[in-house]
Amino acid sequence: MTAIVVFWLLSALAIAGALLAITSRDVLRTAGGLGAFLLAVAGFFALYGAGLIALAEIFLYVGGVLVLILFAMMLVHRSERGRPDLESRPSVAAVFASAAFVVALIGVLAPAAVLPRAATNMSTPSDVAELLLGTYLPQFEIAGVLLLAGLAAVVAVMGGDDR
Amino acid sequence: MSLIVVASILFGIGLFGVMVRRDIIAVLIAVEIMMGAALVLLVALGSGTAALGDVARISRAQSVGLLVLVAAAAEAAVGLALLVAIARRWQSTRIDEMTEGRG
Repeated sequence: MTAIVVFWLLSALAIAGALLAITSRDVLRTAGGLGAFLLAVAGFFALYGAGLIALAEIFLYVGGVLVLILFAMMLVHRSERGRPDLESRPSVAAVFASAAFVVALIGVLAPAAVLPRAATNMSTPSDVAELLLGTYLPQFEIAGVLLLAGLAAVVAVMGGDDR
Repeated sequence: MSLIVVASILFGIGLFGVMVRRDIIAVLIAVEIMMGAALVLLVALGSGTAALGDVARISRAQSVGLLVLVAAAAEAAVGLALLVAIARRWQSTRIDEMTEGRG
């Protein structure tokens, strides 16, 4: 019963946060909406027994990517006065297109998926570590190389102007 | 079923954001929302009927989810770096002003 209440609270937080992030023109409200959405996502992970990924989501996204996005906004809009204005071009076609996509997505996923319930057991970080350094070692290494490549790409892109 | 509906709605909100936003940062945020919705569904469905206490299955879903999270974080970092470089070059972050690559 508690799990159902938590699920709907998290769903409400995620949808409200996502809507705020998408519709608001104010930078801080957009960032706040994204933060609420990311926290709700972390809550979903915890609800389904994935505690480690919930923590990683909070550290990596709420603490990292969200701050990075705020920094980028401040860097990019520094010449304008006041808070930057994030414009939209609302269109009825976009509403219908995304609504149709949602209906199609539900139609495809609902019959195929095994329905999960809230987990009663959490998997511990050592369980995950055993898998990542055992069965999934090649994928783990590839993820490391991908991160390194990402880092090199960022340095290359940002360093290009100064030469 | 309810999770599938919620995740689909979140994905749809992200998709709507990609279509209507004019600022490239806001588009990137919308993409992050789509990625988050997909990741929740991946981990939850990967856990399957994990309420029965199948820790091994949750761990497997969680490991795959972590790898996807790493890829998503790398994507966000490269995307933001590109964004700042584009903003320096065009002096603007509006996507409809970036017409140089138009065929």
